Amino acid sequence: MAFQILVNLIIAVTWMFLSISFKPTTFIVGYLLGLFMLFFLRKSFSTRFYMEKVWAIIKLVLLFLKELTLSNISVLKLIIKPEMPIRPAIFAMPTVLEKDWEITLLSSLITLTPGTIVIDISDDNKTLYIHSIDFEDIDDAVKSIQDTFEKAILEVSRS
Amino acid sequence: MKTNDLIIQTTTKVVFFIIFLFSIHIFFAGHYTPGGGFVGGLLMSSAIVLLLLAFDLKTVQEMLPINYTILTAIGLLISLATAAGSIFFNVPFFTHVYDYFYIPLLGETSIHTAMFFDTGVYLVVVGVTMTIIQMIGGDE
Repeated sequence: MAFQILVNLIIAVTWMFLSISFKPTTFIVGYLLGLFMLFFLRKSFSTRFYMEKVWAIIKLVLLFLKELTLSNISVLKLIIKPEMPIRPAIFAMPTVLEKDWEITLLSSLITLTPGTIVIDISDDNKTLYIHSIDFEDIDDAVKSIQDTFEKAILEVSRS
Repeated sequence: MKTNDLIIQTTTKVVFFIIFLFSIHIFFAGHYTPGGGFVGGLLMSSAIVLLLLAFDLKTVQEMLPINYTILTAIGLLISLATAAGSIFFNVPFFTHVYDYFYIPLLGETSIHTAMFFDTGVYLVVVGVTMTIIQMIGGDE
C-alpha cells in the first residue's frame, strides 16, 4: 500500500520534471498516469492494487453513515415510547482483529452508533465488552456487528 | 489493577501530532491573528499532558528527556536577552525592531524581535506547566 503510493508520487514528480512545469495540474496529470501504469502492473506487486483499499475505506465510511442513521432512528423510537421498553445488558463479543488501530476503529464505530457502547477491552485484546440499550439475543447482536463493521475493517486491512 | 489502555494509546499516537502542529501554528500566527507564545506554550504542554494520561510518567520521561526547570531558565534568558539587546543601540529597554530578510524556501520574510521574546515566553510556559504537573503527579 505505502510502497505503491510512493511509486505513484515519484511517477507524478518525474512527470512534472519531464514536462518542466511545476503546477498542481501537471502533478495531477502525472498522478493519474502513474495510477494507470500501476493498474497495468498490479499483478507484479506482492500486495493488492491500492485503489482497492481506498475503495474499501470509502465503503466503510458509507456503511458507518448508514448504520448511524438507522440506529439513531431506532433509539429515537425507544425514547418517545411512554412505557420505556428498554432491556439493558452487557455482553462479551469475541473479535478476530489483531492490530491496535483495527480494534480502536471497531470500538469507536460501535460506540458512535447509538444503542451500543464499548465499556472495556480484555487484557489479551481478544474480547470487547459492550453495553447495549435494548437487547434481545446475544448471538444476534454479536453477529450483526461482526457481519457489518468487523467485515468492513477486515476488508480494509487485507494486504 | 492495571486496565487495558489500548484505545487511548492508539488515539494519542494520532492526536499528539495534530496538537503539536497546531501549537506551532498558533505560535507563529500570534503577530497578526489571535495566538502567540502563551497560548502556543499551553497547547504544547496539553499535548504532553495527553501523553502523560495515555502512558505513565516514566515512559514520557524516556520519550522526552527534558529537564523542565532548565527549560524555564532558558526561556527566561532568551526573553531577557531580547529585551536587553536594545541597550547596545542607544534605544530604551524593550525596544523592538523588525526588518525584511530573504530566507531560502520561505522567500521574503519579515523577522521581528518580538518573535524571539515570544519564543522565551513559549518555553517558560511549557516548563512551568510541566513542572507543576510533574510535581503533583509524580509519587516518587
